[in-house]
Amino acid sequence: MFRLVNLEKKFGNLEVLKSISMFIDYGEVVCIIGPSGSGKSTFLRCLNLLEIPTSGRIYYSGAILDPDLDCKKLRREVGMVFQKFNLFPMFNVLKNITYAPMRINKMKEEDAKELAMDLLAKVGLADKANEYPSKLSGGQQQRVAIARALAMKPKMLLFDEPTSALDPELVGDVLEVMKQLATEGMTMAVVTHEMGFAREVADRVIFMDKGYIVEEGTPEKIFSNPENQRTKEFLARVI
Amino acid sequence: MTLHFAKAAELLIPSLFHGFGVVIQATVLGFLLATILGMIIAIGRLSTIKIVRGILYLYLELIRGTPLLVQLVYIYYVVPLLLNLIASMFGFKTNIQIASVTAGILGLGINYGCYMSEVVRAAILSIDKGQTEAALVLGFGKYEALFRIVMPQALRSIIPSLGNYLVMMVKDTSLLAYVAVNELLLRTQNFASQTFLTIESYTFLAIAYLVISIPLSYFVKFIEYRLKDK
Ligand SMILES: Nc1ncnc2c1ncn2[C@@H]1O[C@H](COP(=O)(O)OP(=O)(O)OP(=O)(O)O)[C@@H](O)[C@H]1O
Ligand SMILES: [Mg+2]
Repeated sequence: MFRLVNLEKKFGNLEVLKSISMFIDYGEVVCIIGPSGSGKSTFLRCLNLLEIPTSGRIYYSGAILDPDLDCKKLRREVGMVFQKFNLFPMFNVLKNITYAPMRINKMKEEDAKELAMDLLAKVGLADKANEYPSKLSGGQQQRVAIARALAMKPKMLLFDEPTSALDPELVGDVLEVMKQLATEGMTMAVVTHEMGFAREVADRVIFMDKGYIVEEGTPEKIFSNPENQRTKEFLARVI
Repeated sequence: MTLHFAKAAELLIPSLFHGFGVVIQATVLGFLLATILGMIIAIGRLSTIKIVRGILYLYLELIRGTPLLVQLVYIYYVVPLLLNLIASMFGFKTNIQIASVTAGILGLGINYGCYMSEVVRAAILSIDKGQTEAALVLGFGKYEALFRIVMPQALRSIIPSLGNYLVMMVKDTSLLAYVAVNELLLRTQNFASQTFLTIESYTFLAIAYLVISIPLSYFVKFIEYRLKDK
């Protein structure tokens, strides 16, 4: 689905991504782990062109991406969920979800509402449709944000530390929703500090450090039998 | 010396009522122009194009570095002369003039537009970048994100400040007297110089401004209160 070739990203003189080459297949769940500042967010944000790579190529469903031309189309197919949810505070939950499908996909209001209610049921928040985001807990807001992304019927979802801003007791509900998406076959790239989730759900785990992909492989390999010294040190610290 | 408030009231107040019409016209149109310019300048200054930002920065320095009164006089007297001069260089003989009310509205709009652009800009910048990004990743364009998602949130902090500028602008319409707009001050000056009822006339003039500005500022406070409520 995605293939990156020698991707690099600099902010001024700061090299944040250095020669990243990798791929993501349809239906795959890829978890990206690594220390703070290693470039995980930047990497994820290059996939939907929120950051424009300084050099390198991105292929998306077989064709090379042109940042000037393909932004909108790409983003309609590749949704994103943020650490801080970023729900629209002036809209209620229902409108947060129906807004983009109606505006962008020209979906009819009844259809969009029906879709939104289905998605809310799926994330376990059918009774919150008319609440405003500020009245919801962090975990509930994040599940609404997932529903909002799903309403665009994306082919893939990017998650940037979706549970890092949550109280520990609220993390489980969000991870549960993500697990379900994974079993339904959604393609997902997840930056996370939840090693349990990565081990259980990921098809592949990528360890990033200092702008490089240091090691990648199945969860068993990365967590039980890491080859690289830096991966070992990182895992020893976080687990 | 005796004061003749009754006589002054009888003759001046009807004239001031006509002046109200001029003040309202100049304020409404001037404010509209200022708001539009303020939005455009604010958005331009957030542009990614460096030249656009540079030009707007210079423009703001120019306008904010000169007094409104000088700008009014410049627009009314100097700009038509310049236009005629330029036309004559191309061999045309013209007699371009700017109506005094038009000059007044332009001056107020251009001057206030600069100050309002700062308010709009600060309000846009105060909205979390995550809001724009959330809109972008759903497939909205840059300007759709700005106008549909960021602006509506920024308006909450913009509206109260704009209200204060509105009250200030009403009072600043008195400067239009210097470009021959027949507003409250000019009417009062003429009346006072003909009748020598100086104390009475200018007292009524002051009261006339209070009659507009006090209710207006309470109205602005009320709107501000309503916005805070939500
Ligand atoms: N817009 C930006 N401008 C300048 N530097 C940036 C920008 N975004 C990120 N950086 C820098 O790039 C580096 C990598 O940041 P990034 O957010 O990708 O790391 P991360 O792995 O996601 O870290 P964390 O786990 O803390 O989220 C950091 O040094 C950061 O300061
Ligand atoms: Mg990050």
